[in-house]
Amino acid sequence: MTWWRESDWLTRSGLVCLAVLVLVTVVGTVFGIGGDPGAMVGPRLAPPGGEYLLGTDQLGRSMLPRLFEGIGTTLLLSTLAVLVTAVLATLLGIAAGYYGGWLGEVVMRLVEVLYSFPTIVLAILVAAVAGPGQAATMCSIILITIPLMTRVVRASAVTVAERDYVTSAVISGAGWPRILMRHLVPNLSGTIAVQGTYALSVGILVEGGLSFLGFGVQPPQSSLGALIQQGSTYLLTAPWLVIVPGIVLIVAILAINVFGDGLRDGLEPREARSLV
Amino acid sequence: MRIPRILCAVAATAVLASCSAAPVSDNAPTSEVPGYLAVADEAVTSGGTLDLQMTVDNGAPTGLDPQLADVATSWQLMSLVYETLVTVGPDFSIEPALAESWDNPSPTEYVFNLREGVTFSNGRAMTADDVVGSFERLLAGQGVWKTQIGPVEKVSKVDDRTVSVTLSSPYQPFLASLANVPAAVLPMQEIEDGSVDITKEMLGTGPFVVKSHRQDVSWQFTRRDGYWAEGKPSADTVNITIAGQEQARMAALQNGSADLVMLGNVDAPELLNGVRGTAVGTQATTDFYYLMLNSNAPGGKFDDPRVRQAINIAMDRDAIADSALGGLGKPTGVTPAGLPGSCDPALLPSARADLDRARQLLKEAGAENLTFELAAYSTAPAPAVAQVIQQNLQRIGITVNIEQLDEGSWSGKVYGEVPATFDAALSWFAGYADAAMVGKWWNPEQAGFNLGFMEPNAELNTAIDKAIATPAGPERDTALQQLCDAVDTDAQMIPLVTRPALIGYRSDALSPTLYATEGYGNVFRGIADFRLLTK
Repeated sequence: MTWWRESDWLTRSGLVCLAVLVLVTVVGTVFGIGGDPGAMVGPRLAPPGGEYLLGTDQLGRSMLPRLFEGIGTTLLLSTLAVLVTAVLATLLGIAAGYYGGWLGEVVMRLVEVLYSFPTIVLAILVAAVAGPGQAATMCSIILITIPLMTRVVRASAVTVAERDYVTSAVISGAGWPRILMRHLVPNLSGTIAVQGTYALSVGILVEGGLSFLGFGVQPPQSSLGALIQQGSTYLLTAPWLVIVPGIVLIVAILAINVFGDGLRDGLEPREARSLV
Repeated sequence: MRIPRILCAVAATAVLASCSAAPVSDNAPTSEVPGYLAVADEAVTSGGTLDLQMTVDNGAPTGLDPQLADVATSWQLMSLVYETLVTVGPDFSIEPALAESWDNPSPTEYVFNLREGVTFSNGRAMTADDVVGSFERLLAGQGVWKTQIGPVEKVSKVDDRTVSVTLSSPYQPFLASLANVPAAVLPMQEIEDGSVDITKEMLGTGPFVVKSHRQDVSWQFTRRDGYWAEGKPSADTVNITIAGQEQARMAALQNGSADLVMLGNVDAPELLNGVRGTAVGTQATTDFYYLMLNSNAPGGKFDDPRVRQAINIAMDRDAIADSALGGLGKPTGVTPAGLPGSCDPALLPSARADLDRARQLLKEAGAENLTFELAAYSTAPAPAVAQVIQQNLQRIGITVNIEQLDEGSWSGKVYGEVPATFDAALSWFAGYADAAMVGKWWNPEQAGFNLGFMEPNAELNTAIDKAIATPAGPERDTALQQLCDAVDTDAQMIPLVTRPALIGYRSDALSPTLYATEGYGNVFRGIADFRLLTK
């Protein structure tokens, strides 16, 4: 509760928005509000109204359950991918920052190679090799967010490695697992958490971009990107298809970014405020 | 304070978008000439550059040899250069083309009287030898169309302007089979002396010649001198841009950079409604979507006919036509709906059975919890059709995972391996101009392209042979119904619904000639008549 009281209204708003988004999605999905997201229940392209709260799409499917499914897919895929990224980037960052030497050089060069690819080009490359779908989307998010997180974790690991308590542990003969788990990871956790929120927003954007291009989740499964892609054709004749998922996507990314910003200010108060 | 501003901007965008969805006027072309969506205004002066856009360029995968061309997009392009002995009218009647008339002295004999003054684009006059040589080359080659031209026994030159064709048995669709690009008359003299390689360049008797081609990017055709039809073609140049994205083609039509585009979205008439200077014609075609169930699928998923029949029973063709095709398609059997003599899809064995019967068949076959992959290409409206199929099959407990692929990847997956390794796939056939023609593709030993995923069925082959041999009349109607029933029961390739063709054009820039119906997927059929209003 201390953090809640000390954080600013923007951070709290971000967290509340995220919580509401997740809660609404879970409740909507678990209780099947709006019906089966794949069922063709109504007239094609019906506008929002009493029977279909968010209207229907070009196949007569109610948009409300499809939106619940879309938010769930996007958040779940992005979160899972970022968790994998966090583990890998922590190991790679510590290897490069703490152990250094040739291992650090190899890790950082690989990271730089990945970093040199434009985001969406890398994602399309992965989708082309692995085939479109959820696996390709997750792999893309992981490959795109790993360089970002690894570089920051490495920089923090270099600093932590020079701290007296680490030197003392080494002199006292502590093994690397103990140094890793007792000294490095706990002191890097703030950095990892902050970078995780940033990676999550990047992940949502990548999922949206890939699905928009048709390389992401496959029909009839929906995601925010897929819903926007399908609705974009009907922007002028059935704008509800793209506006609602578009707003949700914007809100989700904004909420994650401002929450991450506040988290960083709380954990690393001396640094200047920045979204990155 | 950035967030409130951003949210305000989003809300404003939403309001603006909603406001722009105001009701607008109808933009469907109207023609007073029966059988036509539009007829070019002959009072308009000839000349100018015609800018077209289409979805794919099949030039590289299948080459430029018209006898090997096996997809409608190739036929569209090649029809600008190559011509056939006969063509089809707007009511699917057979009309003269390079043959100005023909006689049919017996059910197995056809005598073609060639048109005078026809030349290839290199200036050489077309002769009876070119016609005979083209037939012989087609029959000796590997193209799938040799199956369609039937049991040709002998082709002989009677004189310089007369060619006789003898069939080994009566074959009702013979003339209709000659009306498609693979049966075009080729410059046999140049092919035989090696002065032209028609797999790499096009040399025909048609109204245009190829000026340039960039694979998957564009084609440029120019009008040729000495074309036999006086005053044709009207346009000096035809530029065809390959634009895979539906939105890109729509945008090109809206901003006027294209005069005519092929559209896949069945809502295109509404989407372009009210866009000043545009019109969208919906051509009823005999083409139809069908579902392929691979009899060689891994795990033997579809080798039991009961499983295939259960899937066929669960197909709600009306739902596909209404939901996926916006009511523009029609349920059909293997004889395309709309052609004379075609069978009534409501009378098919699968249409008369209910879902309980489908579930029972699955239970008997031990396939109650069947799951399979459905490969569909990503060009609209195929993904929508696939999703309705998925919903249809969910009703009998079958789980379908859709794999959406670009057309090249889809083609490689479905036709690239023998035996094929896919589970199921969605595609469409052109329905041609005779109700029995497309049925020939249900004999894999003759069609060839489906040997990898289809097992021959002797009973079905008998029904095919009977339908194509029986002359028009009540007896043929019965034969066609039997063919429909046999295909329906075999259920290795399941006919679903007819495929509408949507053609968008600039009504302020172009006066086109468009049939109301089309059997060979060729919307460029009247291109020699197209008149440009502003160029």
